[in-house]
Amino acid sequence: MHSDALIALLPFLMMTATAVAAMLAIAIRRNFALVNGLVGGGIVLSLLSLAPASHRAPVQVTELLRMDDYALFFIALLLLAGLAVLGLCHDYFKEREGQNEELPILLGTALLGGSVLAASSHFASLFLGLETLSISLFTLIGYPVEQRRSLEAAVKYLILSGTSSAFMLMGIAFLYAESGELSFGGLGRFIASEPAMNAVMVSGVVLIVAGLGFKLSLAPFHLWTPDVYEGAPAPVTAFIATVSKGAVFALLLRLFVETGGYGFAPLRPVLSLIAVLSILAGNLLALLQTNVKRLLAYSSIAHMGYLLVAFIAGAAIAKPLVAESVTFYLAAYFITTLGAFGVVSMLSSAQLEAADMALFRGLFWRRPYLAGTFTLMLLSLAGIPLTAGFIGKFYVFTSGADGGFWGLLTAIIVGSGLGIFYYLRIILAMAMEVEKIEPESEEKFVGLQSAVTLVVLSLLLVWFGVFPGDLIPYIHALAGSFGK
Amino acid sequence: MIAEASPVSHILPLLVFFGAIFALTAVMLGGAYFLGQRHRTPRAEEPFESGIVPTGDVHLRFSVHFYLIAIFFVIFDMETVFLFAWAIAVREAGWTGFIEALIFIGILIATLIYLEAIGALDWRTRRQRREADRRQHGSDACTGP
Amino acid sequence: MELLGWIPFFPLLGFLALVFFGRSLSKPMVALIGVGSVGISALLAFLVGFELLRGSMAPYRLALGSWITTGDLTIPFGFYLDSLSMTMLFVVTGVGLLIHLYAAEFMEADAGYARFFAYMNLFVAAMLTLVLADNLLLLYLGWEGVGLGSYLLIGFWYVNPDNGYAARKAFVMTRVGDMALALSLFLLFTELHSLDIQTVMERAQSEWKVGAVLPVTAAALLLGGAAGKSAQLPLQTWLPDAMAGPTPVSALIHAATMVTAGVYLIARTHVLFMLAPSAQTAVAVVGGVTLLIAGFSGLVQTDIKRILAYSTISQIGYMFLALGVGAWSAAIFHLLTHAFFKALLFLAAGAVIFCFHHEHDIFKMGGLRKAMPLAFWSFLIGSAALAALPFTSGYYSKHEILLAAFETSPILWGMGCLGALITGIYSFRLLFVVFFGHQTREVEAAIGNRMRIPLVLLSVLALFGGLLQIPLDTVFPASIETTLPSPSPWVSIVTLMMPILGLLIAALFYLTGTLSSTAFTNEPIKRLLLSGWGFDALYRTLFIHPFVALTRWNKKDVLDSPYLRTAWLSRKLHDLTRAAQTGRIRWYAASMAWGAVVVIAIGLLS
Repeated sequence: MHSDALIALLPFLMMTATAVAAMLAIAIRRNFALVNGLVGGGIVLSLLSLAPASHRAPVQVTELLRMDDYALFFIALLLLAGLAVLGLCHDYFKEREGQNEELPILLGTALLGGSVLAASSHFASLFLGLETLSISLFTLIGYPVEQRRSLEAAVKYLILSGTSSAFMLMGIAFLYAESGELSFGGLGRFIASEPAMNAVMVSGVVLIVAGLGFKLSLAPFHLWTPDVYEGAPAPVTAFIATVSKGAVFALLLRLFVETGGYGFAPLRPVLSLIAVLSILAGNLLALLQTNVKRLLAYSSIAHMGYLLVAFIAGAAIAKPLVAESVTFYLAAYFITTLGAFGVVSMLSSAQLEAADMALFRGLFWRRPYLAGTFTLMLLSLAGIPLTAGFIGKFYVFTSGADGGFWGLLTAIIVGSGLGIFYYLRIILAMAMEVEKIEPESEEKFVGLQSAVTLVVLSLLLVWFGVFPGDLIPYIHALAGSFGK
Repeated sequence: MIAEASPVSHILPLLVFFGAIFALTAVMLGGAYFLGQRHRTPRAEEPFESGIVPTGDVHLRFSVHFYLIAIFFVIFDMETVFLFAWAIAVREAGWTGFIEALIFIGILIATLIYLEAIGALDWRTRRQRREADRRQHGSDACTGP
Repeated sequence: MELLGWIPFFPLLGFLALVFFGRSLSKPMVALIGVGSVGISALLAFLVGFELLRGSMAPYRLALGSWITTGDLTIPFGFYLDSLSMTMLFVVTGVGLLIHLYAAEFMEADAGYARFFAYMNLFVAAMLTLVLADNLLLLYLGWEGVGLGSYLLIGFWYVNPDNGYAARKAFVMTRVGDMALALSLFLLFTELHSLDIQTVMERAQSEWKVGAVLPVTAAALLLGGAAGKSAQLPLQTWLPDAMAGPTPVSALIHAATMVTAGVYLIARTHVLFMLAPSAQTAVAVVGGVTLLIAGFSGLVQTDIKRILAYSTISQIGYMFLALGVGAWSAAIFHLLTHAFFKALLFLAAGAVIFCFHHEHDIFKMGGLRKAMPLAFWSFLIGSAALAALPFTSGYYSKHEILLAAFETSPILWGMGCLGALITGIYSFRLLFVVFFGHQTREVEAAIGNRMRIPLVLLSVLALFGGLLQIPLDTVFPASIETTLPSPSPWVSIVTLMMPILGLLIAALFYLTGTLSSTAFTNEPIKRLLLSGWGFDALYRTLFIHPFVALTRWNKKDVLDSPYLRTAWLSRKLHDLTRAAQTGRIRWYAASMAWGAVVVIAIGLLS
């Protein structure tokens, strides 16, 4: 192993060291703020170490990991999202009973898993990354042990995630049985050499898609999503919605591009069906939902469906454009989702998770800034112009239109129409005048870190919405180097 | 389209096998159903416990500590497996391998320290631990005003 | 001269300041901004006006920049000042300032003080834009702006639904006229490829023949717009109801300025009307008929403000008559004097209403001559000018109009003379009933200086305003009153005697009580006149009822059904998909397995 590889791996090493150090810190002295700061510092260090790593990119570190611009960008995105979640967690958990010190460590390991996913170029590292991420998530979801809903959500996620991993392992086994290859590149060469796919290969790929589809909560593997989103603590929900999904999607795109999976004709109807089902099911389920966390869960199902459309378009259009669309969409989705769950997290108190729509009634009159931020996030989710969400959706549309996938675009339009209904419903509820002024006993929980996070996210949202040109060149550059 | 459709002859033995299993199960269950006698008394519904009347619930609740210790055992046991694998190839792995093994062991040790510090290896229940603490420092508390 | 651009700016600034900060300002501060902004405009207007008067009276153009540029359509943002717009400018800022000052006291007790002045300033800004605009689109902007101001101010006391109804009625009725104006703008633009007023006039003169279809259509549409704004037949019904607004509003908008915008519009585009003799005749007929029917209605009203409203309609009818017979200068002259004496009358009426706690019925007043001497004298001067008694301002302008009408058609002259008689009767009826006889009630409040000063100044103007000489010859072609030989003296004498006759009749009925009014009035006719000739009822059966019936028939909007179906379908699908969310883990796992089976099957089969 030479020094280039070591430097390229620095972000991973940093994160691992952070986790171990934080563990030892807990062994010496339990202090939530200390561990939080330690993990936060570790994430920042990892982010800084991306710079030397990017000088050496692209580097293939063993057969398992490929550190190229694409991977580094996603690692940066995941780490930044992790930092935001950490900030939200700090304020969310600091007032709560129990030992909260392990939470930042688990966030760190989950980030490590996600980053490995973004860089993996081999089924072994894929599985390692995925499981590191998932196992950390089980614990994170069930972290407030005393709360039944969290525990229920954790168990559900554990069992169903296990099921999905089984599907995926089966799929990997099928592929290995046929090709004798586990690296994406090797599999790609095998597929290129085969004139057509046999049933085992197709089943294998579809099973992998099913397994990853679970993580992305794509229909028909989406049923767990609302229950887990609702049960998990709000910052953790933000984490699942962003880091977990973003990492898996980054992996999915790499898997398809490097193995030439786009060449599979049988896959196209499968993916199209999944995309359409996700868009429709997600939006329809959200339509009359009164629990904001569940509503956002359904909305995330729909958003993954939109994203999948851009992904499917890769079969017909240039890969860099797909990478560009997907990356921008994910970046916008990250900002928006973190912001939305950030608001929920800031509204929640130790006694009450702010999930019921009734709690949002008249929010504009009680906490105007928070309500304004939430409105901004919802508008971005709905894809209203001047928000990053609009540019993201525009990208998806462009990709779909370039590829000529009119059926899928129709689904997006129908879905967006439905979406506006329920996003505006929340905004309307927030703008409603409440008859009785709530007694001031309702403590105004304001956390500095959360507030800063939300402000930054809002600014980014509008900035990228108004001047997408400031972000696009980077994405364009990384997408250009990708898939060649 | 699938280029290479599996010939039926390939699957045939499998089908025969499945069929045989289904048939056997059906014969066993069906035989018992048709040949066996039936009692419709309340006692007949109780689980059979070698003639002893059952008492209590079958759902015994063990302390979570049993599972914890079991898990730790499995985990650390598995880690040793990796070390065995390294030990066999220690010469081939060379110094790089050695350093990697050291890091691996180091992380294990850190974990162990952590587990010890949070009291995960303590067999006592939380209540027992509290009582022990009280006994240690308790003299002050008891003689207090 | 460059100050011209600032004139509409200050009221606009005042409006913005009052809208954004009005809530937090004290009442003196609000009054200072509201009155002061108009004051500055008035000062600037006089500066600019004197400069124009001192000079050669050549029209002055001020280009402030481009407003709309799209394709080959370029609308500049520019002002145009000649003696016509200068006259209007003086009326709007001068009379406007006095009325604002008056309102500062009149409205003092009102909770919506800042809102009132914000609307008033908005109105003044829009009115100034209207009169100064150098192109028809900018004029239209001001036109709609004053409509908005009028709407907001009629419905100022919006708590009472009747006022809101009156505001809507005014808005909708004038909107009918606005539609015609917009159509004429479209026509002029498509035919003459310009909206600049002077260019349009020049091109019309060179491209269109006298009496051709196009100029007649364009002029007729302009007349429609003017009739809507100026409450002329057949769109006159909104003005009496518009009296629901505060009295200063009635004085400013519904007597002195906005309602005369139609007169201004026709005078501004007189070239077109000269190219369309039939349209111009229509203007005269509309004016003649309106002045009569409004005058008759004014005879029987008992609400002090409604009497004045009908008299306003009637006086604007005179202006239309003047325009119709080509006496352009006389029309504008009457506009000017009317602004003085009608504003005076409204303000004096306002003082009476103010002191009587919003009592409008004249028969509940009486004998106020002693109790309110200033109001009495103001009213006396105003009524004399309104009736055109000799040597008041109204006399000069109305006399000119009637003489010019005689030259065109003795019938029109006859109508005008009959109108003058009626005017004499109703104006002095009002004066005698309110100020003579027994005082029935105690006056409950006194008026302060801010209300006194405008009354005094306007009294002076109403008395001597007729001596003003406006050099309108530079704008209008030599009018008939100067080109034709003077008519025979008996025409002048009849014209002169009519108002005096009216005064005597009113005195016989209401002062001395020699004649009883009840003996002469026939109850159905009285009711007809009281309701303004039943136009409201007519329009209700002609337009409102069929329209309401139509909407009721389409109550469940046919076009709504696709949307409702979509919503229903979405709801059903939501329920359907929701049924899958059981929360049971075994069902979730099973559905995942089935989902995997389905996608594999699709993958294999396709």
